[in-house]
Amino acid sequence: MIDQSPALILLAPFLLAILLALLGIKREWLCFPLVIAGLAISVAASVVTLLRVIDEGTIQYFFGGWEPPFGINLRVDGLNALVALAVSTVSLLTAIYSKRAVPAETSDKVSQFYTLYLLSVTGLLGIVLTGDAFNLYVLIEISALTSYALIGMGSRRATLAAYKYLIMGTIGASFYLLGVGYLYIKTGSLNMYDIQEQIVANNLHGSPSIFVAFVVIIVGVWIKMAFFPLHSWLPNSYAYGPSTTSALLGPLVTKVMIYVMIRMILTVFGPEFAFDQLDWSNIIVWMSVIAILAASISALAQASLQKILAFLIIAEVGYMVGGVWLADKMGMIGSIYHIIADAFMTLCVFLFAGIIFTKTGRHDISAMEGLFTKMPLTMVGFLVGAFSLIGIPPTAGFFSKWYLIQGGISSGHYEYVAALLISSLINAVIFFRIIEIAYFGSKPAEGHGYHHNEEQKDGTMEASFSMLFPLLITAAVLLGIGLYNQEVVEIITNFVSQFNIGAIIL
Amino acid sequence: MKSFALITVILTGWLLLSAVSDFPSWGDTESPANDYRLSQHYITETFPESSVPNMVTAVLADYRGYDTMFETVVIFVAGIAIMSILRRKPLDYLKDTGRETRSYKKDPDLIIDTTCRLMIPIIQLFALYVVAHGHHSPGGGFQGGVIFGASFILLALSRDLQAAQRWVPEKRVLNLAGIGILIYSGFGFACMILGSNFLDYEILHKIMPATPVEARSHSMLGVEIGVAFTCTAIMFSIYSNLASNGDMKETL
Repeated sequence: MIDQSPALILLAPFLLAILLALLGIKREWLCFPLVIAGLAISVAASVVTLLRVIDEGTIQYFFGGWEPPFGINLRVDGLNALVALAVSTVSLLTAIYSKRAVPAETSDKVSQFYTLYLLSVTGLLGIVLTGDAFNLYVLIEISALTSYALIGMGSRRATLAAYKYLIMGTIGASFYLLGVGYLYIKTGSLNMYDIQEQIVANNLHGSPSIFVAFVVIIVGVWIKMAFFPLHSWLPNSYAYGPSTTSALLGPLVTKVMIYVMIRMILTVFGPEFAFDQLDWSNIIVWMSVIAILAASISALAQASLQKILAFLIIAEVGYMVGGVWLADKMGMIGSIYHIIADAFMTLCVFLFAGIIFTKTGRHDISAMEGLFTKMPLTMVGFLVGAFSLIGIPPTAGFFSKWYLIQGGISSGHYEYVAALLISSLINAVIFFRIIEIAYFGSKPAEGHGYHHNEEQKDGTMEASFSMLFPLLITAAVLLGIGLYNQEVVEIITNFVSQFNIGAIIL
Repeated sequence: MKSFALITVILTGWLLLSAVSDFPSWGDTESPANDYRLSQHYITETFPESSVPNMVTAVLADYRGYDTMFETVVIFVAGIAIMSILRRKPLDYLKDTGRETRSYKKDPDLIIDTTCRLMIPIIQLFALYVVAHGHHSPGGGFQGGVIFGASFILLALSRDLQAAQRWVPEKRVLNLAGIGILIYSGFGFACMILGSNFLDYEILHKIMPATPVEARSHSMLGVEIGVAFTCTAIMFSIYSNLASNGDMKETL
C-alpha cells in the first residue's frame, strides 16, 4: 500500500465524496463522519508521501500504468509534498469546524454541501500533485466549479459574488488552457517535464509561441489567485459565502494557484527563460509592491472582519508573487515557505471569524467587544493567527517574512522590503484595533440575527468544542512550523537548489 | 470603462495572433504535434497494447483515463452545483411569490404525443448503441449519455416534467449520476486492490475471462458505461432544474 500513497492523497476524498453523494441524502448523520474519514486518510497519506520524498527523492506514480508522456503521472517532489500536506491538513481542520456551522448555514443541503466540499479538496490536491499540464486544467475546473457552488450556497448577496467569481475564474482557466494549447503546438507533449525537455532540446526559448504561452498562463493564474489589479472577484466571494466555505477556500485556492505559478516557472518554462531571458523582475516586483500596499490600505478601510481578511489575502498574494519574481533563491524559498505558513494563518483567522459569526451573528468588528473575558480560549487562538499575520516571532509568519526580506535585500529590491514592512505595520494596526476592542470594550455584545448568546453561568460563552479544537490546533501548527522552520526550509532548499535561480547566496 | 475593456480585448487578440506566424503550417506532417513520439505511439501501438481499434477512445479511456474520470466528475459537479443553488422546495417557492397553485397538466397533443412515443425508444436504442460501440467507431459514454438524457428531455418537453419524472424521479437521477462515477472509479479501485496502480486495467484479467490486453478493452467499455450513466442523469437534472426554476413543478 505504501507505493500507492501519492494517489491515495486525492483518491480518498474523491471516493468518499461519491459515497456521500449516494448515501448522504437520506442519512444526514452519515455526512460528517464520511468527510472526516476521507480527509483523515488523505492527511495520513500526505504524511507518508512527504516522509518518502525526504527519504527517496522525487516519487512518480503512473495512472493506468502508462509512463509519461503517454499517460498521466503524479510527480511528487519536496515542493508539492509540502503543499499537499498543508492542503489536506487545512481541509481536515475546516471540516471539523464545519460540524455545527454547515447544518446552521445550509440547512437543507448538507449532503450536497459536503459532496462539493470533498470534491473541491480533491481538485485542489490534484492540482498540487499532478505532473501533467492538461490534467492540471481539468482539476482547476473541478475546484473552480465546486467553489462557485460552495460560495453560491451562502446568503443572497453570495449568489451575485459567486457569479462574478464564475466569470473571472472561467476567464483565468481559459487563459491557462490556451497557454497549454500553444505549448502543445510547439512541443507535441502535455507532460510538464517532457515539455521542458522538448523546449530545451529544440531550443524553443526564442519562439513567439512559447512566449505567448508563458504570458497567457501567468496572467491566467494571476486572475485565479487574485493578484492585485485582477482581484475584484475575491472580497465579496469570501465575505458573503458560508463561513465553512471561506475557511476552506480562503486559505487554499490562492495558495494553490501560487504553487501553480511556481511550478510553471520552475518546471515547465525553466527559470532561465522566466527570469533571465524575459527580465521582467523589476516590473512584476513593482506590481506586487502596489498590490501589497493597495490591498493593505483597503483592508484598513473595512469594518467587517470577513472583508478585512479577504483584503489581507490579496496582500499576501502580493508578498508571494513578489517573492517569486525577485529571481532570487532566498525569495523563492521565502515564497514557498509563505505558502505553507499563510495557508495556516489565514485558516486561523477565518476560523475565528466563523466562530464570532456563529456566536454573535455579526460580521463587524464591534461585535468583538469584551471577548477576552467571554471567550478566552478562542481569543488565544486568534492572537496566534494575528501575530503570525503581523509577523511577530516565534510564529510562522515571522520566519516567512524574514526569508522574503532576505531575498529582497540580496536581490536589491528595496522597494519590496519597504512594502513588506509597511504592510506588516498596517496589519499590526488592524489587529491591535481588534484586540483593543476585544480586551477593553466593556459592554458585552448584544446578540443579533438568528444566533443567540449562549452565556454560561460563569459569564463565558466559549465556542463549542468542534469549533474551538481546529482553531487551537491551527494555532499550535503555526507555532510548530515557526519553531521548526529549519526543518521545513531544508526540504524547500533541497527542492529549490535543483534550479539555477539568480544569485546563489546561501 | 468600456473603452478600457476594448483596449484590453484588442491587446489580448494581438498577443494571441502574434504567435500564429510561428505555428507549423496546416496539416504539416512534420509538426511537433504529429511528429513527436507521443502521437506516433498512439497511432502504432494502440491496437497491440489495448486491442481497441478506435485510438481516440483508447487515448480517452485508457492512456488518459484519469483525465476522463475527472471530466465525468466535472459534469457531476455541474449538476450538483446547479441543483444546490436553484433547487427549492415547491411549497416555499409558492409562498414566496404568492402565485396560485394551478394544474400543471397540459392537454396531450395527439400528433406530438404519438411522434414522441415513436421517437423516444429509437433515440434510447441509438444511445445504447453509441455507448456500446464507442471503442470500435466514433462514439462513447459522453455522446451516448447525452443522447439518452435528451430522450428524457424530449419526454418532458412533449408532455410535462411530471411525466418524465415518473421514469426518472429526482432521487433516482442523483443516484444514477453517483453510480456512474462509482462504476468508473470502481474499475480504478479494483486495479488498486488487485495490487496495481489506479486504472491500470491490465491487472483485471485476473477477475475477467480475458487476456491482459483484452482486459483493457473490456474495462474501457465498462468505464464508458459509467460515463453514460452520469451524463444521462446530469443532462436531465440540469434541464429539469433550469426549466422549472428549481421547484420541479412547471416547465417551459
